[in-house]
Amino acid sequence: MSDTGTDARATTTAPPEPPQAPPRPTPRRGAQWWVRKALWLALFLVLLALPLYLEAQWLKAGQYMMVGAVGAIGLTLLTGQAGQLSLAHAFFLLAGATSYTVLSGPTGDPELVGFGLDPLLALLGAVAITAVLGLAFAPVAARLRGIYLGVASLALVFLGLYLGQSAESLTGGTSTGRPPATFELFGFPFSNDGDLEIAGVPIRETERVWYLFLALVVIAFLLARGAVRGRIGRAWRAVRDNEASAAVMGVNVPTVKAGVFAVSSAYAGLAGVMTVLWFDILKPDESEFGTYGINVSIAYLAMIIIGGLGSVPGALVGALLVNGLPQVLALYSTQLGWSTGTGEGAFTPILISSFVYGAAIILVVLFEPGGLAAIGRRIGQRLTFTRRGKE
Amino acid sequence: MKRILALACASALVLAGCGTKGGGSDSGGEGAGGVQTDVGVTDSEITLGVMTDQTGPFKNLSTGITHGNELWVKDVNAAGGICDRQLKLRIVDHGYKADTAKTLYPQIEPNVLGLVQLVGSPVTAALSGDLESDEMTTTPASWSSELLSNPYLMVVGTTYDVEMIDGLSYLQEEGMISDGDTVGHIYIDGEYGANGLRGARYYAEQHDLKLREVKITSSDNDLTNVVTGLRGQGVKAILLTTTPTQTGSVAAANKALGLNVPILGNNPTFDPLLHQSPAANALDKLYVVASSVPFSADIDKAREVARKYEEAGFTEPPNAGVPYGYAVAEVWGTVLRKACENKDLTRAGVHKALQQTTSAETGDLVAELDFSQPGAPATRQVYVAQPDASVEGGMKYVKPLFESEDAKGYKAPHQQ
Repeated sequence: MSDTGTDARATTTAPPEPPQAPPRPTPRRGAQWWVRKALWLALFLVLLALPLYLEAQWLKAGQYMMVGAVGAIGLTLLTGQAGQLSLAHAFFLLAGATSYTVLSGPTGDPELVGFGLDPLLALLGAVAITAVLGLAFAPVAARLRGIYLGVASLALVFLGLYLGQSAESLTGGTSTGRPPATFELFGFPFSNDGDLEIAGVPIRETERVWYLFLALVVIAFLLARGAVRGRIGRAWRAVRDNEASAAVMGVNVPTVKAGVFAVSSAYAGLAGVMTVLWFDILKPDESEFGTYGINVSIAYLAMIIIGGLGSVPGALVGALLVNGLPQVLALYSTQLGWSTGTGEGAFTPILISSFVYGAAIILVVLFEPGGLAAIGRRIGQRLTFTRRGKE
Repeated sequence: MKRILALACASALVLAGCGTKGGGSDSGGEGAGGVQTDVGVTDSEITLGVMTDQTGPFKNLSTGITHGNELWVKDVNAAGGICDRQLKLRIVDHGYKADTAKTLYPQIEPNVLGLVQLVGSPVTAALSGDLESDEMTTTPASWSSELLSNPYLMVVGTTYDVEMIDGLSYLQEEGMISDGDTVGHIYIDGEYGANGLRGARYYAEQHDLKLREVKITSSDNDLTNVVTGLRGQGVKAILLTTTPTQTGSVAAANKALGLNVPILGNNPTFDPLLHQSPAANALDKLYVVASSVPFSADIDKAREVARKYEEAGFTEPPNAGVPYGYAVAEVWGTVLRKACENKDLTRAGVHKALQQTTSAETGDLVAELDFSQPGAPATRQVYVAQPDASVEGGMKYVKPLFESEDAKGYKAPHQQ
């Protein structure tokens, strides 16, 4: 990943960074390249095998991390790569969630709007709709920068809160919400219907959704990596580092800014679709804090900061920590019978996880502003050097 | 390189050989005493789940309910348990976060017969489908009649909409409002407020009232401007489906602006702490309708629970959650005994027993309950109470349990 080595810089005023590693000889692919590929492959295989071993609750927690991963990749492209601070991620999540539910919802309901589309089409439609919504925000994004853009985008979260509550024919309202259509792929339902077994393990809703989410994460990941490494990624970083010089180099700054907003929103929209599929219900929030509230926007920011701004694999790790930690801690401590106290002073896993997650952000910002991605990169380099020494 | 590939392959093989999780079937069987059992019941124990909020915004009330549940379990076990089995609670904290609850549920699900307590409207909404497919009888700590679309949710008490209807007929009976009047309704958007509003709309339609609806959010704490607006519209009464803090604000404004109309609130609008708030002197116009009693209410059973609470040495100040939690568990006791009589302590058996429960008694902690009609509230009776700082519990009852004609005729949203 040394070709994306400048990711760590978030500020627009940062001086151009010297290349971190000497340019690799491109024609010959070194051992390091193969090791990396093998490791990714091994990880993928492990993820494929996990549903055969893990209980439903761990799979459920894992799926939630994947939801976070897709959303965080989108935000790291926008904020890390293109330098646009956005707090509107939760709004686009809600937009994606609502679009999917409405598009795939049954037609003919007297109170709820539904188009009865095939769930796959509905998913693609939801991604397209959120991308368009992201584009619609472009005029604002083109005029504002930094913290001002962040505050302006925050307005969208409040707009989402209001619309979610008042557009009851779309969202089902805060009182009851509305269930989304079960996802289907060419007639194969991602539910408990039908008997399917692999190696003696019944593959039911939780396992099926795991594979669906895994596929979505892989697609999201590969597309993002491709974009970051390609021409468009260079344009994003150029705009981030200095708009004037980017313009001089022939980058159309407003177009690039609008484009990255659309891309990031599309990712958030996909994460929104995954959110409703995970919760089995679309329920707009009753207050600013909830499934699509400010807390979610901030959680996504936390993911990409912990992971390392701009780093796509870092976003995955950030999602793993921020979305996964509370869940995993809660599951572990319940399993081990910790903190069964019921009183006021009960030190529950939920409390512990908020401390850990707060501490993680502070530690990262203080000691490794490049995030976990920078740490990973350093470990990678050290390993490379020792291996080279041996050879 | 090859070494690594080999290693990867080897580890994959090892993993594959480790045996998968497959084959975990929970087929039911016959247990001790010839009773059918499946999940959460052994020959010596019945385990019930509690999914509560010990760290989030509803931690005070939830902790009260949990302690109420615990007190009841202690009492029942001391008396020999149910169906020759001791009762056990499995308590988990979800911090009012639907996502955490969603992952904790599959963990607790294979271990419990049902859920005695499920706190939080977003949590309940997220789990509703799971509860239905697992046939998990559950008591939500919410009284919205919208929940009754799920036959496995057992709402202990009168729903918010019916409370409103009963309360309005009380006001009319006492001559405080009459047909054709204008009344204002301030409600929090969400499951709670929308359900209260539903009742007010029904009553307004029946009695030709002009209803002025004001939607607020749970964090709006100064409602003076709302009350000023309602005064301008000439309201004869103000209805509240709000938080206690908001009730205080409305009561204070009602007095300060010289409006002085009666205020009618759902059960959760009042908290004894209001007597220590700046609004303490403005509460004389407030009427609260409820089907469950506050802590240390002037009822034998409530006093007994209060005494046990003290003896148990819990450190938190008690609240209305304690008698409610005790009452809910008592209803569970009735249902479980019924299921035991039917020789069927499976989940399906418990659900059947619930539907056969036509008169669950809680010693007047909650009005008598009838769960036999799917989709209908289990009771339509309420108390009417007024704040009174001199009485223990902070409330005096101005009308004992009653059911109005309008409430009888009201059809709940999922009633069949």
